Amino acid sequence: MRENTRLSVAHLVRDPVLLFLVILVFTGLFLFILLPLYKIFSYSITTNEGKLSFQAAWDILRSRTYLQPLKNSMLLGLTTGILATIIGYVFAYALTRVDMPLKGFFKTIATIPIISPPFILSLSMIFLFGRNGLITNKLLGMEDSNVYGMHSLVVVQTISFFPIAYLTLTGTLAKLNPAVEDAALNLGASRGRIFRTVTLPLSVPGILSSFLLVFIQSMEDFSNPAVISGNFSTLAVEAYRTITGMYDMRGGSLMALMLLAPTLIAYVLQKYWLSGKSFVTVTGKPTTSRRQSRDPKLMWPLFAFCMLVSLTIILFYGTVLVGAFVKIWGINFSFTWAHFKYVMTLGWTPLRNSVVLALASTPIAGLLGMIIAFLVVRKEFPGKRAMEFISMLTFAVPGTVVGIGYILAFNGKPFMWTGSAFLLIMAFTFRNMPVGIESGTSTLIQIDRSIEEASTILGATGAVTFRRISLPMLKQAFFSGLVYSFVRAMTAVSAVIFLISPRWNLATISIFSLFESSKYSDAAAYIVVMIVIIIVVIGGLNLLVGRLGNSGTVSSGGSGERA
Amino acid sequence: MRKIFLSMMVLFCLLPLFSVGAQGTPEYKFLTVYTALPESELPTYFSEFEKDTGIKIQYVRLSAGELLARIRAEKGNPQASVWFGGSYDNFVPAAKDGLLEAYQSPELANIPKVYQDAMGYANPFYVGAIGFACNTDWFKKRGLSYPTSWDDLLKPEFKSQISMAHPSTSGTSYTILATIVQMRGEEGAWKYFTALNQNIRQYTKSGTTPPMDVGLGEAAIGITFSHDGLKPAFEGYPVAMSFPKDGTGYEIGCMALIKNGPAKEMANGKLFIDWMLSKRGQNLFETSKSFRIPVNTQATPPKGAISVDSLKVINYDPVWAGNNRTRLVEQFNKVVAAANNLK
Amino acid sequence: MSERDFSARSSNVSLLHLTKRFRSLDGSGEVTAVNDINLEIRAGELVTILGPSGCGKTTTLRMIAGFEYPTSGSIFIGGRDVAMIPPNKRGLSMVFQSYALFPHLTIYENVAYGLRVQKLPAAEIKERTQRALELMQLTSMAKRFPSQVSGGQQQRIALARAIVIEPSVLLFDEPLSNLDAKLREYMRDELRKLQKRLGITSLYVTHDQSEAMAISDRVVIMKDGWIQQVGTPREIYAFPQSKFVADFMGKANFIKVQVLGIEGEAARIEIEGMRFTVPRAGKAAPRAGSALLVVRPEALRLLPLSSAQGSAALKGRIDRFTYFGNIARYEVSTENAPLLIETYNPEASFVFEEGAEVGIIIDFESARLLPAEEQEQIS
Repeated sequence: MRENTRLSVAHLVRDPVLLFLVILVFTGLFLFILLPLYKIFSYSITTNEGKLSFQAAWDILRSRTYLQPLKNSMLLGLTTGILATIIGYVFAYALTRVDMPLKGFFKTIATIPIISPPFILSLSMIFLFGRNGLITNKLLGMEDSNVYGMHSLVVVQTISFFPIAYLTLTGTLAKLNPAVEDAALNLGASRGRIFRTVTLPLSVPGILSSFLLVFIQSMEDFSNPAVISGNFSTLAVEAYRTITGMYDMRGGSLMALMLLAPTLIAYVLQKYWLSGKSFVTVTGKPTTSRRQSRDPKLMWPLFAFCMLVSLTIILFYGTVLVGAFVKIWGINFSFTWAHFKYVMTLGWTPLRNSVVLALASTPIAGLLGMIIAFLVVRKEFPGKRAMEFISMLTFAVPGTVVGIGYILAFNGKPFMWTGSAFLLIMAFTFRNMPVGIESGTSTLIQIDRSIEEASTILGATGAVTFRRISLPMLKQAFFSGLVYSFVRAMTAVSAVIFLISPRWNLATISIFSLFESSKYSDAAAYIVVMIVIIIVVIGGLNLLVGRLGNSGTVSSGGSGERA
Repeated sequence: MRKIFLSMMVLFCLLPLFSVGAQGTPEYKFLTVYTALPESELPTYFSEFEKDTGIKIQYVRLSAGELLARIRAEKGNPQASVWFGGSYDNFVPAAKDGLLEAYQSPELANIPKVYQDAMGYANPFYVGAIGFACNTDWFKKRGLSYPTSWDDLLKPEFKSQISMAHPSTSGTSYTILATIVQMRGEEGAWKYFTALNQNIRQYTKSGTTPPMDVGLGEAAIGITFSHDGLKPAFEGYPVAMSFPKDGTGYEIGCMALIKNGPAKEMANGKLFIDWMLSKRGQNLFETSKSFRIPVNTQATPPKGAISVDSLKVINYDPVWAGNNRTRLVEQFNKVVAAANNLK
Repeated sequence: MSERDFSARSSNVSLLHLTKRFRSLDGSGEVTAVNDINLEIRAGELVTILGPSGCGKTTTLRMIAGFEYPTSGSIFIGGRDVAMIPPNKRGLSMVFQSYALFPHLTIYENVAYGLRVQKLPAAEIKERTQRALELMQLTSMAKRFPSQVSGGQQQRIALARAIVIEPSVLLFDEPLSNLDAKLREYMRDELRKLQKRLGITSLYVTHDQSEAMAISDRVVIMKDGWIQQVGTPREIYAFPQSKFVADFMGKANFIKVQVLGIEGEAARIEIEGMRFTVPRAGKAAPRAGSALLVVRPEALRLLPLSSAQGSAALKGRIDRFTYFGNIARYEVSTENAPLLIETYNPEASFVFEEGAEVGIIIDFESARLLPAEEQEQIS
């Protein structure tokens, strides 16, 4: 044991770049994850007079008000996690393995719900399925449909979160060595059998990390349950209301910290399950590109499924789009540009701020995510497990608490950063990079490390290897990491409530406020503009990341036949 | 690629340098305000104030509960000088926790004692009465008339049609609870809420949601403050307010100086509070279409707004309400749980 | 075109008391993967480390490459202690078992990669890359991606990529194990020819003994982290110094004998009551008492029992007979030990069927002696 620690320390000393990165990452993790969490925890157990007291903690534990919400949150997280992962997997499988029509369309549609600005899907849900809903009331003539509750929440969250599963799993499936599947095919196995015995087991890391990401997001989701959960209370919302409605910041913070428990358990289970198993499918012994199945018995059901999901998404987003162009959503459907004028004039500054901050945090979060994934999978150094673990923490904590923790930690010497763009950028970075880390990790464990060693022995330093070899191979994961951090930064609500300042007001807060003033169409217009911006940025990122080098194994580029 | 990589690393390292905020000049013409009033009203007050004084207001808009939490978290180094808007019961815990600077505007001389803060921190600037936001379409379709008393809400035709925030999560709703308790005594109140539970569509999380539910047709009646209740109507949704003739509670909208806020803004902050309470500021509720009722006796209430005098307002005691909060809310939870079991 | 230009910097490699211990899988103890190895690889020489999986050969290679740090001991490359030199500064190249080609780069870029990271002038990169591609006959496919060419071509890309940077030492980690048998033999010969022409010091790791025989100047046999024997392929085969080496390198029969005495290189022995002389008994031969006589299958000859009287050392019975055409292979049971016997050009003499009683004649010129109770490890 000691021997190995000594060795890995020696390793660090011999590799100054690695040493620098490890120190940099740990400093970041300490400052922007551990310190705020510590601050909020110690705040919760200290009285106003600065004395240590477990009274608040005891009150919360004794009152048991957290129990039902905690159970609800877990139930919701599990349901959404499973559903979103299944849908994401089917999409990813269909789009990487099967030759079917309208692929480009499905690819686009599947990524759109990532861009689900807060409240909006819930609002669509109400407009479509509420008592006055287009479908339930106008179409089906129902007077008393109940749109509030867990069922709606599951629908809305599954739509919102399945793209993460889709993106993560696409990365996994695209990297899965086709030779392995071909080999099975040559052995006479049927497609179904290959899927069960080869493809599915090898994509387990991707499946688990998708599930984990969705589970966590569902648990800490604030804006959807806040709008549509009805009497089904979730812990994230309950914590928020305890803080803002009961004026009990200590109790609310503790409740929010409780969310860490199930998340961490899920996380540890996932790591435990994956440890000691090999998922290497990219060995550097190149393999020929995949032939996609044209079997109609496989293709049409998948096509129908993708179509159904896509239409649902279009329905929800179409509702928003229509909402943005009508005079009064739900009442007066005559066409107007007024809401867009509002966004472009009064609403412009917060929107610009959101874009600027999100753009600033995106490359940092994306790169840091890849660096951490790389360090954790590829390098030996003391504290490796801790790094992996800590980096996932803020992702799992409800934003409200992260926000409060940030104020407590950075509103005084030595870190006077409240109200600054820097702090918002850091909050975005450290809160949003876990998606990159997860997809990076699950991709990296599929890539034989000798490819990186080959680069090293040819004279490349660690940094050069990372930039020219690892990163291009992580393209897909890097891309998902970038897209996801950008979108999450643009659409963050609960974390930024406490971090915005007069100088740095953000679009989501404006949307929330419009929403509360029943200005649904203004909010919708805001969201439409936001979606357009996000799509443009994703397109740009796609181009940039594409220039990282053409990957011979990525399935999308038809890279030719067997020589 | 290499350049991009390097520049990103440099950017990462340099970022903290950009974080230094704007520094002041001797004649400081800025004021930082935390406000809970809706975004749409703010330009009216802030631009008029700037016209009069040359002071530019920078603001953050959040709900009152969020503001309280934020001010509490920022206690060590407050970022704003004035807390503008939010019901008085948000200011009570703030004052108790030493988050507010004691300041009473000279303009309070023109404001009835009943609205004033005995502790000397909050400066009341509007009153909003609790009423019933009604979906006009729903009532028209059924030929029913709007409820005009608390007992009207118990009518069987409103079964599962009333939206009300939950008192454990909403200040608005707690005001409703406290009002009923003060009107009918605790025994009577619990009886009332047990009966009301039959007609409740949902207990929403936020106090602003019930009128939205009504606007969207999710509920026929929302129990809410008048200025929140009329917001959907202002946007074109079929919502009208009615008020209980047997008396109702109200919220006192307040503002206060934040303790240890940016020192150079302190004078500007006092100026703003005075200005907002003056006849000039109070008359702006008309312009901002907020339906808030001015508390300054010299001001004219906005057209269409309900004046406090025209309502039979009960003598709502915010201090008592604040002190009994935890107990009442717990009891409410029990009552509702029991009522749900009967359903 | 001149291959000689690729050979500029060949260095010698010395391993001194090299040891590597890992934490065992269950975390409870330590496993010694490489145990106090001393080895000198001369400049321009190709040395193969041969051994069963888990013998420590790959760990040794990876320590030389710099991917693993020795627990103790030193590595010198060109007389320089490389303990503090990271892998990318050691001036080595490596051909990986999986080739480890960069999937996202063209073949040209794969080969040019090492030159690019050295930031050589563009003209030189181009010139050297093209020369390496020509040498490996890859010029026509330079613009393709590794996934678009055949296995043998992929192997050549890996080799081109490794030699283009003119490494002082070239490391091979079972580079041929991914090829089919025929291609493997072909590539093996190509590889050896190239190595000889370029004169690059090479360390080659394999578990395939015929591959080791075919390409090596010298072979190192490893087992359980220990070096068992070092020598030219001929020395290893003809003078195995342990039962393990004799068995691992080719096939061997072990006949129990009594040593009567040693005179110079020769030993007088007794088998089943008959006396013989082993002219070159080998360094490991015990001076007296029980011993094992190592005899290769081709050094045993079968005679019909009738004509074997007096000359045969052993009598036996054919248990199994396999006819390959060029070789006849017999598994023979005797009272002493089961024997494997191979007769070349079998049709030139007797061919025996299963069940036949035979006399066995030993060619003592190529037989060697080993101690009877061999210790598992030489410490």
